Amino acid sequence: MDKILRINMGAAGGPQQSTEPAGEYTALGGRATTSMIVGKEVPPDCHPLGGENKLVIAPGMLSGTAAAMSGRLSVGCKSPLTGGIKESNAGGQAAQVLARLGYAAIIIEGQPAGDDLYKIYINKDKVDITVDNSLKMLDNYPLIDKLRIEYGDKVAYMSIGSAGERKFAAASIACTDMELRPTRHCGRGGVGAVMGSKQIKAIILDDADCKPRQPQDPEKFKAANRAFVEGIRKHPVSGEGLPAYGTNVLTNVLNEAGGYPTNNFKFGQFDGATKISGESQAELEVKRGGSATHGCHRGCVIQCSGTFNDKNGKYVTKQPEYETVWSHGGHCDISDLDTIATLDYWDDNIGVDTIEMGVTIGVAMDAGVIEFGDGEGAIRLVRDEVGKGTDLGRILGNGAGFTGKAFAVERVPVVKNQALPAYDPRTVQGIGVTYATSTQGADHTAGYAVATNILKVGGDVDPLKPEGQIELSRNLQIATTAIDSTGMCLFIAFPILDQPETFQSLLDLLGSFYGIDMTGDDVVALGQKVLTLEREFNKGAGFGPEDDRLPKFFSTEKLPPHNITFAVPDAELDQLYNW
Amino acid sequence: MADKQTVRMVLPLAELPAFFPLLQQGLWLQVEVGCSVIELLTDQFGIDVKYINERITTLFLDGKALDDPETAYVKDGSILALSSAMPGLVGSTMRRGSHLAAMRGDITYQSHPEESGTGRVKIKLFNMVMSELGETVLAHGFWLSKSDLLEFLHEQEENFWSDFTASLDGDQVAPDELIEVVSRVVSSGETVLQVEFKS
Repeated sequence: MDKILRINMGAAGGPQQSTEPAGEYTALGGRATTSMIVGKEVPPDCHPLGGENKLVIAPGMLSGTAAAMSGRLSVGCKSPLTGGIKESNAGGQAAQVLARLGYAAIIIEGQPAGDDLYKIYINKDKVDITVDNSLKMLDNYPLIDKLRIEYGDKVAYMSIGSAGERKFAAASIACTDMELRPTRHCGRGGVGAVMGSKQIKAIILDDADCKPRQPQDPEKFKAANRAFVEGIRKHPVSGEGLPAYGTNVLTNVLNEAGGYPTNNFKFGQFDGATKISGESQAELEVKRGGSATHGCHRGCVIQCSGTFNDKNGKYVTKQPEYETVWSHGGHCDISDLDTIATLDYWDDNIGVDTIEMGVTIGVAMDAGVIEFGDGEGAIRLVRDEVGKGTDLGRILGNGAGFTGKAFAVERVPVVKNQALPAYDPRTVQGIGVTYATSTQGADHTAGYAVATNILKVGGDVDPLKPEGQIELSRNLQIATTAIDSTGMCLFIAFPILDQPETFQSLLDLLGSFYGIDMTGDDVVALGQKVLTLEREFNKGAGFGPEDDRLPKFFSTEKLPPHNITFAVPDAELDQLYNW
Repeated sequence: MADKQTVRMVLPLAELPAFFPLLQQGLWLQVEVGCSVIELLTDQFGIDVKYINERITTLFLDGKALDDPETAYVKDGSILALSSAMPGLVGSTMRRGSHLAAMRGDITYQSHPEESGTGRVKIKLFNMVMSELGETVLAHGFWLSKSDLLEFLHEQEENFWSDFTASLDGDQVAPDELIEVVSRVVSSGETVLQVEFKS
């Protein structure tokens, strides 16, 4: 990945494109690339929907190679939702294709004059930026169907639905999966609105006649990949639980722990949890001729996704993830998988983040817009209000914080205006630290992965000693930032966590590909560098310590059944970035 | 349990999934309490300690995450949930002996002994553990209200009944009569359901 494609949508006379050497970004990827470019080139005080913001798209360090699990794509910008720096990533095919085309990044800047809508086609020989107003206001599924007629089935598509064109702060960017369905989303933070502000509807990536990227040391790379795959397959999480039940396997466990946020974070347990659990979902999917085991990109050996059909065996959506089942399920007191699957379909089709949308509906329920438990009402809000851009839809489509303000709701579970995900911070205080302090806003994946030898850097960790939440969250955020740069699916975290030899095989993959020796210290250093940069950007955007806080009700309202509050002091939260 | 009416079913193993919703919600079983979780599972259910250590890596007792099943004690009315390793940061946090256990310190089980005797424990099985231990737990026999039993039977589809034998207090009952017999003969309140599977 030795080049960067720069597209100026606001150039005089129409959009212009140029290619430049990747330079310092050659051996980086994913979040490291997007955050470094945004940090350098985007004024932190710019309007996120204006011409000064940039949309940066980057595959991972190992994307486009034969390495397993290497298909994550990162998209970075200043977020219209949080107002801070954003990196949002997704699976699907786009990362692999973009990397094989040789691009370390695509940087989209400026804004067109006029209101034409553009599509961008990229193959190994050319970049075509063309007006196509026939695509206006098409949602993702019919959009991809239409584009396939022109570009075929051997390409990868990135697109926005009507939500992105309307520049809703909850708008996502869809990436097509192996079946060319727009089911994998760069969901968080409104990146779809930024793409919409650049008036780009779709990016078509065509790697015909491109070869996989070749490692510096092919034999060592092959051996490392073999060990890596073996480690993933033998681990019970990545080799059994996730393929069998998907991420929704978490519902029963979180519910049992009393940390399953229910009815807009009022309770920690949901009576209907078993009905919408991963176990129940997998059973139903298989019974209806769908699948509970499916990969979102070529090279995935975990296969945590699936397909959800209706009772007549007709496709509805890809297997909804834990976060989606929670946000549209327990959070809203809905315990019907068909309703949740329908909501997931509409989120994907309109192009909105399922977490933000689900939390928003829960806030709307608290406001009395519809009742808790009203599944048909929830579908109507997404499909007919957000989907059609009505006045109510404009409120809801701009997220939970905006909706809370519009309806004077006090209980709004957001940090830096981004909706909290599916884990109550009162039950797992450490995740609350991550929600509060992450540069990304409330984000459960920001401090997600850890390897035993990363934790041992700078001292061993005694699991029986109550090490502070701050130190743990800090270490996790550093490690995750580094992994987000590799382009690897985060679910490699479990084999890495438990099996030092599997973590070593990841380092060997990176080392043998780039011809360098990588250690755990290098991984830590990369994570710290990127986090520091992101933090600086957010300071420039006006963020201060007061933004690294949870909503007050988490500290004052006891959560049943354990009746606990979030108790990590503010002074400790302010220490997280001291390294 | 001897004082309660007992419905016994024998079904093909292929029908185990019909019981998955019940296993996830949890089954009340009569056991000897006051023992540790390890003792309960090994001594009273015959589960191998190697299986417990290697497969049951996430456990909850009365909603609290367990780090050491040898020093966690069940009492009358305890709820024990068993799961394999979970994905995600929070899933990892919940695992027994997790490096991240401090992140859920407020919901970690704190050991304290309990009185011995006969009592009831609710056992919930999740994900792979549900498939692997379901047969064992169902064979132990569990309390079920008459209404819940009837609801369960009404929900079952044709294949459930096709190779099925049942008895009530030792007397054979034809599959197509079971619902009617349970409605008529079983007294309100709880009954014991015992399920065995044939290969």
